[in-house]
Amino acid sequence: MASYVPPGAPRPASNANNPPSSHPPPNFRANPNSLADNLHNLNFNSAAPRAPSPLPGTPFSRQATQPRPPSGPPFPPTFSHPNEPSPWIVPPPGARPPPFVSSASRGLASNGQPVFASGALPGGQWFPPLGSAPQPPVRPPPTMAMARAPPQPPTATSRPLMGSSLIRAPPVQPASPFSAAPQARQPPTTAYPYGQPTWPLQPGQGAPPPPITGSPQPPRMFGMPPPLPNQSMTSVSSAVGQIGAPVAGASKIDPNQIPRPIPSSSVILHETRQGNQANPPPPATSDYIVRDTGNCSPRYMRCTINQIPCTDDLLTTSGMQLALMVQPLAIPHPSEETVQVVDFGESGPVRCSRCKGYINPFMKFIDQGRRFICNFCGFTDETPREYHCNLGPDGRRRDADERPELCRGTVEFVASREYMVRDPMPAVYFFLIDVSTNAIQTGATAAACGAINQVIADLPEGPRTMVGIATFDSTIHFYNLKRALQQPLMLVVPDVQDVYTPLQTDLVVQLSECRQHLELLLESIPTMFLENRTAESAFGAATKSCHQLALVPFLQETLKEELTSLQGRSIVLDFQEAHKLLQPADETLKAMAIEFAEYQVCVDVFITTQTYVDIASIAVIPRTTGGQVYYYYPFSAVSDPAKLYNDLRWNVTRPQGFEAVMRVRCSQGIEVLEYNGNFCKRMPTDVDLPGIDCDKTVMVTLKHDDNLKDGSECAFQCALLYTTVNGQRRIRVTTLSLPCTSILSNLFRSAELDTQFACFLKQAASEIPSRPLLLVKDRMTNLCINILLSYRKFCATVTSSGQLILPEALKLLPLYTLALIKSKGLRTDGRIDERSFWINYLSSISTPLAIPFVHPRMVAIHDLNSKEGDQSLVPPVISLSTEHVNDGGIYLLENGEDCLIYIGNSVDSDILQQLFCISSVDEIPAQFVLQQYDNPLSKKLNDLVNEIRRQRCSYLRLKLCKKGDPSGMLFFSYMIEDKSSSGLSYVEFLVHVHRQIQLKMSS
Amino acid sequence: MDFIELEAIEGLRWSWNSWPASKSEATALLVPLSVMCTPLMQSTELPILSYDPLLCSQCGAVLNPYARLDYTSRIWFCPFCYKKNTFPRSYSGIGETNLPAELFPTYSTVEYSFFNPKLNGMSSPSSSMSLTSMSMASSFSSISSLSGLDSLRKVVGPAFVFVVDTCTAEEELGALKNELLLVVEQLPENALVGLVTFDSMVRVHDLGFSECSRVVLFHGEREVSSEQTQRFLGLTRTKQQYLGKTPVIQKQGFLLPVSECEFNITTAIEEIHSSPQVMPGHRPLRSTGTAILAALGLLEGCLVNTGSRIMVFTSGPATLGPGIVVDSDFRSTIRTHRDLINGHAPYYSKSSSFYKQVSPRLCDASIILDLFACSLDQVGAAELKDPVERSGGFMMLVESFESSQFRKCLRHIFSRDEEGNLKMYFDATIEIVTTKDLKICGALGPCVSLHKKNNLVSNNEIGEGGTYMWKLGTLTSKTCFSFFFQVNEEHKVQPGSAFSIQFITRYRHGNMGIRKRVTTVARRWVANNSPEIAAGFDQEAAASVMARLAIQRAEDCQARDVIRWLDDTLIRFASKFGDYVQEDPSSFRLSSNFSLYPQFMYYLRRSQFIDVFNSSPDETSFFRLMLNREGVVGSLIMIQPTLLQYSFDGPPIPVLLDVRSISPDVILLFDSYFHVVIHCGSKIAQWRKLGYDKDPNHENLRKLLEAPEVDAEQLIVDRVPVPKIIKCDQHSSQARFLLAKLNPSVTQNSTYTDGSDIIFTDDLSLQVFIDHLQALAVQG
Repeated sequence: MASYVPPGAPRPASNANNPPSSHPPPNFRANPNSLADNLHNLNFNSAAPRAPSPLPGTPFSRQATQPRPPSGPPFPPTFSHPNEPSPWIVPPPGARPPPFVSSASRGLASNGQPVFASGALPGGQWFPPLGSAPQPPVRPPPTMAMARAPPQPPTATSRPLMGSSLIRAPPVQPASPFSAAPQARQPPTTAYPYGQPTWPLQPGQGAPPPPITGSPQPPRMFGMPPPLPNQSMTSVSSAVGQIGAPVAGASKIDPNQIPRPIPSSSVILHETRQGNQANPPPPATSDYIVRDTGNCSPRYMRCTINQIPCTDDLLTTSGMQLALMVQPLAIPHPSEETVQVVDFGESGPVRCSRCKGYINPFMKFIDQGRRFICNFCGFTDETPREYHCNLGPDGRRRDADERPELCRGTVEFVASREYMVRDPMPAVYFFLIDVSTNAIQTGATAAACGAINQVIADLPEGPRTMVGIATFDSTIHFYNLKRALQQPLMLVVPDVQDVYTPLQTDLVVQLSECRQHLELLLESIPTMFLENRTAESAFGAATKSCHQLALVPFLQETLKEELTSLQGRSIVLDFQEAHKLLQPADETLKAMAIEFAEYQVCVDVFITTQTYVDIASIAVIPRTTGGQVYYYYPFSAVSDPAKLYNDLRWNVTRPQGFEAVMRVRCSQGIEVLEYNGNFCKRMPTDVDLPGIDCDKTVMVTLKHDDNLKDGSECAFQCALLYTTVNGQRRIRVTTLSLPCTSILSNLFRSAELDTQFACFLKQAASEIPSRPLLLVKDRMTNLCINILLSYRKFCATVTSSGQLILPEALKLLPLYTLALIKSKGLRTDGRIDERSFWINYLSSISTPLAIPFVHPRMVAIHDLNSKEGDQSLVPPVISLSTEHVNDGGIYLLENGEDCLIYIGNSVDSDILQQLFCISSVDEIPAQFVLQQYDNPLSKKLNDLVNEIRRQRCSYLRLKLCKKGDPSGMLFFSYMIEDKSSSGLSYVEFLVHVHRQIQLKMSS
Repeated sequence: MDFIELEAIEGLRWSWNSWPASKSEATALLVPLSVMCTPLMQSTELPILSYDPLLCSQCGAVLNPYARLDYTSRIWFCPFCYKKNTFPRSYSGIGETNLPAELFPTYSTVEYSFFNPKLNGMSSPSSSMSLTSMSMASSFSSISSLSGLDSLRKVVGPAFVFVVDTCTAEEELGALKNELLLVVEQLPENALVGLVTFDSMVRVHDLGFSECSRVVLFHGEREVSSEQTQRFLGLTRTKQQYLGKTPVIQKQGFLLPVSECEFNITTAIEEIHSSPQVMPGHRPLRSTGTAILAALGLLEGCLVNTGSRIMVFTSGPATLGPGIVVDSDFRSTIRTHRDLINGHAPYYSKSSSFYKQVSPRLCDASIILDLFACSLDQVGAAELKDPVERSGGFMMLVESFESSQFRKCLRHIFSRDEEGNLKMYFDATIEIVTTKDLKICGALGPCVSLHKKNNLVSNNEIGEGGTYMWKLGTLTSKTCFSFFFQVNEEHKVQPGSAFSIQFITRYRHGNMGIRKRVTTVARRWVANNSPEIAAGFDQEAAASVMARLAIQRAEDCQARDVIRWLDDTLIRFASKFGDYVQEDPSSFRLSSNFSLYPQFMYYLRRSQFIDVFNSSPDETSFFRLMLNREGVVGSLIMIQPTLLQYSFDGPPIPVLLDVRSISPDVILLFDSYFHVVIHCGSKIAQWRKLGYDKDPNHENLRKLLEAPEVDAEQLIVDRVPVPKIIKCDQHSSQARFLLAKLNPSVTQNSTYTDGSDIIFTDDLSLQVFIDHLQALAVQG
């Protein structure tokens, strides 16, 4: 059973130009076109022929469309870290069998050669040659059919997923921006590409696959030091930064050859453990399908380094961060197996009696299963009698494969009585709407009411859904929606200094009981207050208390209504003006936020404003209560209501939990240093999350408190106790066990760029409010430099000091660091509110969204038509440099939140006409609503936007930009690789980094 | 002339009709020089003059029959200050044969009506809520000019704010709602209405909001000031920002003319629902105090000065906020008299002082506070008494909103006269002008001293003193005040000379016009020890006055101190006016116009006004409040109930209020003002039970049974609050209402019972009391 129903119905765009999407079939992602499109499949295409024939029975071999050869299992020993250069391309000594890449690696650039220096490879390597991608699998393993055969009968209903998608997939997908939801609606069995029942049938595919015979390496191969350290690096231009030739570099670096991200769009199939060892996960930003074979899916938890340094010194030397990114309710890929729910009955889940760690696949049963050793604290516990099971010859419990908690990294336990302080509370959705003159006049109120009105239809039905509504100007107005009344009753609370709530007056009513009243009310609120002339002067004075009061009511409500309350999500719309600085100005808000959290109220704030509102202060409340800030600036009644609606809808319909408590446990030797995210912390070990949803990520920084044993494994377990939307109490336990290493180069090899950088981001975001910007910038640059320095110093064998040598896994670190330094949050020219929002947005962002947020994606859209053969929705990515932006082109740049469409000055008016129905650049509307016109280009643009929306789980604020306009300035401010007022160009930055490294090396 | 006949003419009862000319002698009289005044007493011969009264330019007295006139030079001499005033031109025709009504010697009382809205034209209403139609105070001329200038302005009627307790049970609430709807339906169009409901929160209903029902909430626990209330309700007047621009009065919908909001208020009343039940073991959370504050703030904010009432309908004690009576927890009980005496009433003094602070605000804005308590338990009337009494408001304690008492009362209050005007008189003041030879000490009654001093005002204050003018929130035709006077020592008083007193009662009539009733009377000074003093003694008036003084004393002192004071006064009084031989009790005699006085005092000291045993503080407050406004006749009934006997022997006869009046073969009709008891003797009850009354052969029995009932109906017809009628048989439990009031001449200790009923009590009987009195009086 899925622990939740993932986000419900498709989220149709509210405006007409976003046609409601149909559900993409579950195998959508697997369709070869999308694979081909942005996959660095060049490697595969070239490699595939060279690849040895996959072994029979390779599980992945079924995937005919995968141009890649089967991955891991057959060759566990040879498997190299995905982020490393694929050693098999480099003509290696025959020491090892040709390995396979199971996940997207860096592709060409990672060939281990100093490619940039050599410039040997053609620039085209970045992009797959047209037509190459959709090529049918080069050579489906001959065994494929056989491999497939067994699974077929049991999953009779399941289509031959990958295969069929070839025919049916792409054109059907108008790709709603939020299609994740519909995908998840598919019955899991059909969506599950692996076809569950097939697993046991696959020889050697059991959770701990026995080492493949013939493999010379021991199972612990993963930890072996790579023989070719210099292969796992990228070096930039020998010419760069010769000592003593400071300025030299720039001209000599070929900007086309410096490392740049290559988005991967091919679906990577990933098994979390292979050969009884952790399988390094694919990059967070890639598209992957996970099979949980003991470790949790990287979606739920990933570590910045996939091998744990044995000692603190080692970690310090590397300069890297050791942290976990925990996203416990992340939406799984539709093709993935859903998290299994285990019910231990009244006794509750089996736990270590000392550290209270939950039972997981890494607990070792001994003594004929009578006892087990905790993999966290090492304590030996008695197995509960009813849980006893004999061990098999391999030392595992005989029932290990039948019990999800013993073979899956992520399981959900049904919480027994002892986990409940009280019965799970019904979900209360309380909406708070600004109706002051300003809000009314800007149309924000109408937009909010409209959005809520639509959204209430999506709220879960049933007696457990309670709703309430309130409006405020200089006073607060509650509404009694009880059905017995002839019309809604408005209760005005005038005392804004010391707010109180009308108790016992049916402010929060079951949705089913008040739907009519509610709809009526929401329709009439904008007109009801149309003549609201709340004196401006009075409003100014009241504002400060206003946002306090906006929230306090719930407090009191929960205080008093102990029986019915309240893990409500209260949603606050629109504030106006306030004071300054990036730090919360007011301790009272903080105190209030903590009170909210204590009463399990999660607050989301939607800020629709045209002025300064002091997000820094306001955001404290959502941050502390597990909520979120949405920011619409400047609010436009034309273009924003659709986004408001979609945001609100996603907010209430996405998978989420209430009344949550989370704790991360680690094996002995490592302990949690700090949690970082949107939560309230009242105990040092736990975090309280009044609300947690699929988008929220908590960063958990770790530290050593002891040395780890080389060759052992270190386990991390995140336990999240929460209430589902349906009112069940669950414990989601996510376990990750990673090998320990004492070798520095292993750390670099297993470092994970995306996670590392997300960690950087979050640290920067948390530092900005309290430190001078310059200091933060320097610190971020130094973090980057230190890592590279460490690598240069201890791992790189290249003697030439003139080369900037980057570890392969982290070769984009300089680019990302540069992007970070130039980002809104670290620029001084931005508005305070925008920076506050930036900081807040990052605090809970997940890794896959964090990267594009700082390093946006840019694509050309004027020539969408020309790529007729290319069926991928997202055209190739253009690097963020002005030189790639032509006057004759139209470019779309998105960071997951905003979407800028830049229209060059000399764009063909025909294209303009087709896309925007305007004839010249001058007619660009200030407020843009994407429309679909009856022409293929427009359709493609819409498809593209919808696809991006789907990928980002966000509706995106669309804005048209043109040169010589503030909007154009905004667009160009995202051109990270350019030299600008906010920082160096990419090349210059590399030179700078290189020089710093050289300085430190020589000192 | 009989005192009662005099009263019919003057509306006054004097404790002494002839006043001794010296202050020491006056003090020696023991019963103070006082006048029981019923300012608006109904009189058939009352001339109503539709012109302004003519005032003395010096003392403000109104021209009256006692003025000396000089027709030729057209001047009049004020009988109080002797100032020479000239007649205005309108009096040009004045002459011996052509006197204006106010100078007719027979008209000791005249009424001036100088603002008649009918004449000023009630045309189209001005659009919004401008309640400042008439400035109050004493500038009458400005009113007429104002109304003349703005003849388009509709006359704003009185304002009624209904304050409804929603903790009331649903059925009870239903009955109340029906009554309120009826009231609203029958209100004059121009009357303003507001609605406040409360439980733990106070809701002020916006009656001008059409989109949905709208209320403004006040937190029940917080005491809000007038300014806060107005700010919360949005009644703040924005200050004049630009010169010459009239201040913007924000449109408000909390207090609207019935004509504008009839639908909304009807809906609002209909949608009042009982608040959800509270925790078991707890009283509902009621914030009565805050609700009253909110209503008060609303009325203050709207500047209604045409008179307004805050009518509180509650069903239980306040358990929250200012004015709290008792904790919500049932484990703490509502204070009793014993608790008050022992200081075990934690909230009493605080709440009482809270309400005392409310009084002046009510008074300033001419707002009346009414309390309708329909509860089996106490509701905190004792705490609330001060503002209710001082504003002249109505208090009623009954058990249920469904009772006919409540219904009758409410309807009585909203009854109308022949012209369709409410029989409510608002915003009244009483001014007293006297001749210089006496001084005004004060007043007792539902009034507030305005602290206006002139040389007629004595420093010796009794009750509401220190003024010659009092404010009355409202008054009825029966409201009675007692005014106290003293001889002015500085003025040489000639025995035999006359002194006069003028009562000027200014009030707003039900038709919103201002009226002024002027009563001018004169009495004579007599020499000390003159027999005229004793002859002029009105024992009934004296008893009423003493009762008021006693209950005033009882507010601060314990009952036994009051009784001691009463006894002491009575003994000295008896020894002064009795006719006896020193040290010989048996020789003690009182003349006829003194003879009943000791008996009154006897019943007074054992009445519920003084002896609070068996009454709750709420009841005591209610009884005292009623006594303090009732006229002489009513007061006497309260003090010494009447007892009529119906028998086959003849017409009903009054009998002694004595246990020996109970007899098996008679029916007794007992009237204690608050209760009317029809008590059937055991024999008659038995006959009735056997159905003889339905037997045509026993027609006389049926008639006998009917007679007291008809009479009882007669008794209560004009009485508000309507008394409770109790029909009981001898020896039944309900008979206790009668027995408790009877003189216990036969008790369980009596040796000789004579077959009569006995009362189990240790109270002393009238005979014992009189014996002691005689004994003590003759001691000298």
